[in-house]
Amino acid sequence: MKLDSKIPKGKLEDKWRNYQVNSQLINPANKKKLSIIVVGSGLSGAGAASTLAELGYDVKCFCYQDSARRAHSVAAQGGINAAKNYQHDGDSVYRMFYDTLKGGDYRSREANTYRLAELSAPLIDHFVQQGVPFAREYGGTLVNRSFGGVQVQRTFYARGQTGQQLLLAAYSQLYKMVRAKKVEMFPRSEMLDLVVIDGKAKGIIVRDLVNGDLKRFAADAVVLATGGYSRVFRLSTLAIGCNGSAIWKAHKKGALFAAPSFTQIHPTALPQSSETQSKLTLMSESLRNDGRIWVPKQKRDTRRANEIPEDERDYYLERRYPSFGNLAPRDIASRAAKERIDAGFGVGKLKNAVYLDFKFAIERFGLKTIKDRYGNLFTMYKKITGVDAYKEPMKISPAAHFSMGGLWVDYELMTTIQGLYAIGECNFSDHGANRLGANSLLQASIDGYFILPNTINNYLASEIQTDHPNTDHPKFEKAEKETKKHIERILAINGTKTVDHFHRNLGKIMWQECAMSRNKLGLERAIEQIKEIKNQFWSDVKITGHEKEMNTELEKALRLADFIELSILMCTDALQREESCGAHFREEFQTEDGEALRKDNEYSYVSAWQYDNGSFKLHKETLEFEFVKPSVRNYK
Amino acid sequence: MFLKKSIIALTGLFLCLFLIVHLSANCILLLPETIARDLYNSYSTTLRESTIIKVIAYVLYLSIILHVFYALLITLKNRKAKPQKYVINKSNENSSWTSQNMGLIGVIILLFIIVHLANFWARIKLGIGEEVGLDAMGNKDVYEVTHTLFQNIYFVIFYTLISIPLALHLHHGLKSAFKTLGFYHKKGLTILAKIALFYAIVMGFGFGIIPFIVYFK
Amino acid sequence: MKVTFKIWRQEGPKDKGEIKTYEVDGLTEDMSFLEALDHLNELLVLKNENVIAFEYDCREGICGQCGVFINGRAHGPHDNITTCQLHMRSFNDGDTIVVEPWLAASFPVIKDLIVDRSAFDRIIEQGAFISAKTGTAAEANAILIGREVADKAMDVAACIGCGACVATCKNASASLFTAAKINHLNSLPQGKPEASKRVLEMTKQMELEGFGSCTFTGACEVECPEGISIINIAEMNARRSKAKWLS
Repeated sequence: MKLDSKIPKGKLEDKWRNYQVNSQLINPANKKKLSIIVVGSGLSGAGAASTLAELGYDVKCFCYQDSARRAHSVAAQGGINAAKNYQHDGDSVYRMFYDTLKGGDYRSREANTYRLAELSAPLIDHFVQQGVPFAREYGGTLVNRSFGGVQVQRTFYARGQTGQQLLLAAYSQLYKMVRAKKVEMFPRSEMLDLVVIDGKAKGIIVRDLVNGDLKRFAADAVVLATGGYSRVFRLSTLAIGCNGSAIWKAHKKGALFAAPSFTQIHPTALPQSSETQSKLTLMSESLRNDGRIWVPKQKRDTRRANEIPEDERDYYLERRYPSFGNLAPRDIASRAAKERIDAGFGVGKLKNAVYLDFKFAIERFGLKTIKDRYGNLFTMYKKITGVDAYKEPMKISPAAHFSMGGLWVDYELMTTIQGLYAIGECNFSDHGANRLGANSLLQASIDGYFILPNTINNYLASEIQTDHPNTDHPKFEKAEKETKKHIERILAINGTKTVDHFHRNLGKIMWQECAMSRNKLGLERAIEQIKEIKNQFWSDVKITGHEKEMNTELEKALRLADFIELSILMCTDALQREESCGAHFREEFQTEDGEALRKDNEYSYVSAWQYDNGSFKLHKETLEFEFVKPSVRNYK
Repeated sequence: MFLKKSIIALTGLFLCLFLIVHLSANCILLLPETIARDLYNSYSTTLRESTIIKVIAYVLYLSIILHVFYALLITLKNRKAKPQKYVINKSNENSSWTSQNMGLIGVIILLFIIVHLANFWARIKLGIGEEVGLDAMGNKDVYEVTHTLFQNIYFVIFYTLISIPLALHLHHGLKSAFKTLGFYHKKGLTILAKIALFYAIVMGFGFGIIPFIVYFK
Repeated sequence: MKVTFKIWRQEGPKDKGEIKTYEVDGLTEDMSFLEALDHLNELLVLKNENVIAFEYDCREGICGQCGVFINGRAHGPHDNITTCQLHMRSFNDGDTIVVEPWLAASFPVIKDLIVDRSAFDRIIEQGAFISAKTGTAAEANAILIGREVADKAMDVAACIGCGACVATCKNASASLFTAAKINHLNSLPQGKPEASKRVLEMTKQMELEGFGSCTFTGACEVECPEGISIINIAEMNARRSKAKWLS
């Protein structure tokens, strides 16, 4: 299969304009006749659904939550980047593009990344117009702050709730179009399969989570906006319901899955405190601006943090990366923490954390300043742990966070299935092997608001003439039947172990072998172990209740069944990539002082996997760097 | 519903004003009997004969009726909005008892008003029941009616006890009436809360203590 | 630690519900309240019983999907938190914990502890937006908004839509929720052109949905995870009167 990324010709800064000039248009009267399904109601899904509806398309939008407003974009804290150069500090579209490309360790497309930076400025205009209460100066202009991995201030924010504010704006706009009867909203509805007719995506099978009914929906195009899949690790910063099922079903129907193993591990989450824990809460990365990270120099030190004298503390980030210190990029900070924890220096009850200490910042700036800067985070920390972080250091630990990988998409955000689009976190396009802070809200929004509404016409223009899909088509019949069988099969097992039991085991293996550092042996072992889990799951899982009712255990089981298969692909991908880049760190490929060793000659490509009856076939999209020469990331 | 709420608030505020006048008049009862009787009786005659006061009196009756009527309507509607009660509800941990029970308190006050009107208004104004005598100046001897009534210790206790729900009702009512009518100045509301507390204490204390003083006079 | 859960079980919207008792052992203080329910559900599965349906998603206090009445309080014994932020250390070994769904006519129970809050979406639908289309925005800094105004808008925009205000209100009033959204948009210059229409239509929908009226008990602001002040309801009333009678 030849992967055509459809990158437009021309200079970097002209590509998007050239694309728009040359793409096909559809007149308003025809748009009304075309229908689009959007799965997911987060920033990308709601943005796309509302904008497509404004353009005149007939849109149906689905989400598994009780309301579109719950989508996990809501939880992003820090902010959203944009090359506005409001701070007059030398920022530009090019610089933002360069930072993003470099931050991703040169494993993304130049053209996509440039477009991300290019469209960032009008996106801020858009959100301001929609009433997002961004932070302001007294004079009324917008404020910016800096974020990890860059030297300019380009991050816009609304307290520690930027994601929430952007999502609510998108949700409002979505409901504006619901009122206009241009969007039909289906909450508590989970997509369980994709329907492909003659090689084109034409609909989905949905389970109504309230009564368990399976329903068919047909449309001229299907857009997946289903977010990340880091819940594969079970313990992650994601919402409990986040899942990879929609993209996995699409993958099994022929969509290629790109770079599945590229998963960002966030360095500052709260550590796991018990076996039964369900979720790791993220603490904003901004804490690293003033907190110092350390572990005791003595292994398995049982003293309380405040009892450990200064000369017995190891400020390992400052030691290893003197110039960036505590502000080293996410992948590096996470890996360094793991190295210390694995070596036996971890702290806390489960010895799985490191200290983040504000003692020095409080001494230097005073308690009040620190309270002003981080008060809400300290309060949150106290709510969750019961510990007062003004008096003793926080305990933090790395946690699975963002999926850089996802369905392979071209410049138009179309997957390898005609008429199937993937937008936001569920695609692989802009972040390469590591995502920079505050770029995730940006990518999700731009995909949904600006890119997809411009590119989807190009496909739909050819669909005006063809027959509109009908849910009576045999392919719908077949997909529904298979889904029903799948559900019945899972319910029929009636084994002895809970769904969570299997998820915990899967998470442990993935965290051990396919997270911050990976090696050949471990990955091979992991694949075997996961296959074993898969066998056990399909022979011994127990779910009570039936399929024709609200059944939360069944929902979990269906998602886990897909996670298990996806995790095999993740390990396969990590195994295949015999280099270290960004978040993908292969222990065999490191420099003498333990840094990532990239191999541009052999691995400067996007791995795109084709599903082939249970096994996976690798395709490569070679990354061409026309405008920027890849260099070695150095944060020492 | 918004209009009805606003009417409850407006009539409530009007009744609050009325109570100030009422309590001021009651203070006459605290004067030595010789002065108090003439003053009180002539004051009440003036009230009965003034046209403006007559108009205001009708507004007052209407206010009470509207206040009660709409409160009843809204309460029924609110009940419909919350048909089922929690097995355990610790509303005392997030709000005052008064605010949770304004309806109940209101009903108690309404019952009192009926008794109160039967004792005074019906006899003096409508001439129902025992005829009211005249004083030396030829005014209806309302003072005597009051005095006689408050020789009965049970009535005194009843009137005194009722001042407690009255004060509670006024306290919450005054505060929320302004908010219902859209007063949202933050500092203003803090001051208002203090005024409401002061007002409620004065009213409750005033109406509660006077029967006692009259009893022991 | 060991606790006794008394939990509302109800098959479906039309079925009669009842409180059922579950003794749960093996809990730890570090567990969140929802993890304790997860744990209970695993035990139920192993005992071949149907699990308790309850809602959650982000489990970090921002999505607003979780929310149950715990021992007589919306979101549990503490002020201004979400159910997912409640931890078992707030209870003692041997405690009895009564768990009920949000109760309001406009929030019908779907199953066990799950209620239907779509009425909120329909209130939003009636005007909690700026009617400008994607692609029509002017340069962001062209609209100057003073910090105080932006901060005040943010205070109310923070609403997570969990429904605790309705749940705790003796009248099941949605005034705090509706006020938060109206005041957010109507206090910003972007929201001005549609300000009157917005306040009238959203409040009208709020009443059509069958929510009760606000009698200012103040319970909502204590249970609101974002601590949104009840003064916002007074502000909404002012905006409403102005739109209704003065313009």
